[in-house]
Amino acid sequence: MRNPWIYTLFIAPTLLLYGLFFLWPMLSSSYYAFTDWNGLESYRFVGWSNFAEAFGDPDFRRAIVNNLIFIGFSVFVQIPLIVLFALLIASVKRLRGFYKTTVFVPSIVSTSVIGILWGFIYEPEVGPLNRLLALFGEGPIYWLAESEWALPAVLITNAWQWMGFYIVLVLAAILAIPREIHEAAIVDGASGWQRAFNITVPLILPVVSVVVMLSIAGGMRVVDIVLVMTKGGPVGATEVMASYMVNEAMGIDPNYGFGTAIALVIFAFALVLTSLYQFTFGRRMQGGEF
Amino acid sequence: MLLKRAVPHAVLLAYVAAVLFPFVFVVFSSLKGSNVEIAANPFGMPKTWHFENYAEAWVKAKIGVYFFNSVYLSFTSALASTLLAAATAFAIVRMRFRRAGKWIYQTVLIGMFIPGNVLFIAQYLLVMKLGVLNTHWALFLPYTAGALPLGVLLLAAFMKSLPGELEEAAIMDGLSSAGLFVRIVLPLTLPALVTVFIVNFLGAWNEYLLANFFISKDALRTLPTGMVGFRDVFQTNYALICTGIVFSVAPVLVLYAFLQEKIIEGLTVGSVKG
Repeated sequence: MRNPWIYTLFIAPTLLLYGLFFLWPMLSSSYYAFTDWNGLESYRFVGWSNFAEAFGDPDFRRAIVNNLIFIGFSVFVQIPLIVLFALLIASVKRLRGFYKTTVFVPSIVSTSVIGILWGFIYEPEVGPLNRLLALFGEGPIYWLAESEWALPAVLITNAWQWMGFYIVLVLAAILAIPREIHEAAIVDGASGWQRAFNITVPLILPVVSVVVMLSIAGGMRVVDIVLVMTKGGPVGATEVMASYMVNEAMGIDPNYGFGTAIALVIFAFALVLTSLYQFTFGRRMQGGEF
Repeated sequence: MLLKRAVPHAVLLAYVAAVLFPFVFVVFSSLKGSNVEIAANPFGMPKTWHFENYAEAWVKAKIGVYFFNSVYLSFTSALASTLLAAATAFAIVRMRFRRAGKWIYQTVLIGMFIPGNVLFIAQYLLVMKLGVLNTHWALFLPYTAGALPLGVLLLAAFMKSLPGELEEAAIMDGLSSAGLFVRIVLPLTLPALVTVFIVNFLGAWNEYLLANFFISKDALRTLPTGMVGFRDVFQTNYALICTGIVFSVAPVLVLYAFLQEKIIEGLTVGSVKG
């Protein structure tokens, strides 16, 4: 129990891998972000100019806005639906297991496969969505190729993928509420809706708050779905910060200095947004309600 | 009263239908003869069942190759990461170096707050410097490393809950700490190990960004990137693309059918604690 050699042996591989693939990349990013390194031997320090260039680029500003739209869509559209569906599943006895199991399915499927799958659903000629519209005599819509439709189409796909995951999360919190509380309310004559909104919802606020945090983090991380479905197009309509970073840094003309600067911007955004949320609503929602 | 009870089911069944429709649609389409048939009858079953599409996709699209690569990369990296995390959690929680343990634990957990794509370019440069770009090491190493923080978090919590008399019993039996770890702690931790392994496995199985940029040799591709390449080549043959989707989704669904409780627990617990 006290042998330092064994101790070292047990932790060294983890620390080595962790140091190499987490700590070192953070450090090297903070270094390269201030250079114009493009993969060749020589490079110069360029100060903050990578950051200035990024924020000066309207495409990048649009990517930031799109990230915020992803977060906004999750928080204001998905979360109310998530809570509603979780309440409904908790309210039924029959088929509860079935609902829980099925709604969770999309969250174990690879994002790239989901992108391909939904790309087919949105396909203008043979895709089922346009076939359905055709039944009502509506002309084909090029969902992923028209600027005004591409982002909503990707947002819906993203929501389809992740809602079930959060529903299960919220459902677990609802089912953990002690039965006695509801029984007491029933004795007091509270209706089903009254109990849902005056007992259940306040009691699951801490978990809803976690879902908000995860949605913020998820909205900052989103990239696979965009790369697979639209590659950021048409003309930047679906570009997010991470896809912008990948397209800029890893293209035929690589620019690693610029790319790592974007990576730091993404990290900073994630930190600022989550701590802003924590200090405004999060803390209040997580503490003291019980 | 009956109506009141039917409303939640109606809403939920509609949602379940929306969740399942794409899967059913893909399975039906994968068995259809051509795009014309899909377009003419997008929602129905195929008129004749074209099972040969599956053989064609397996061979033509090298789905077999991608499939094997995914299986073996996900399996090895998940196993390595789970064992390393277990050893680390054991050392942190059960061995007598509390101060060092606390520091290591905190440091490793910071990793959970860094969004994956933030590290992406720096990891690419690292892999290039290590000279393993375009080999499976380029994925095995970051997958193994990337899963460590969550593994350490979950396994440390589990091992903390094991009774404190274990060490005493081990000393009585003359076991070293390594012996205690292998013979007693690992077997007792098995439920948590399985959970962590499954989460790691799914993470590697579904990973796209690194796989897409760290591997360019077709023979080394995994399913997620292989599938995208496949789609880009066979853009016009939707039946064939759908068979590819079925091939890559089916194993996960089979796994899910048997281990749904474990999978749900692993994925959700990790996210709430993280």
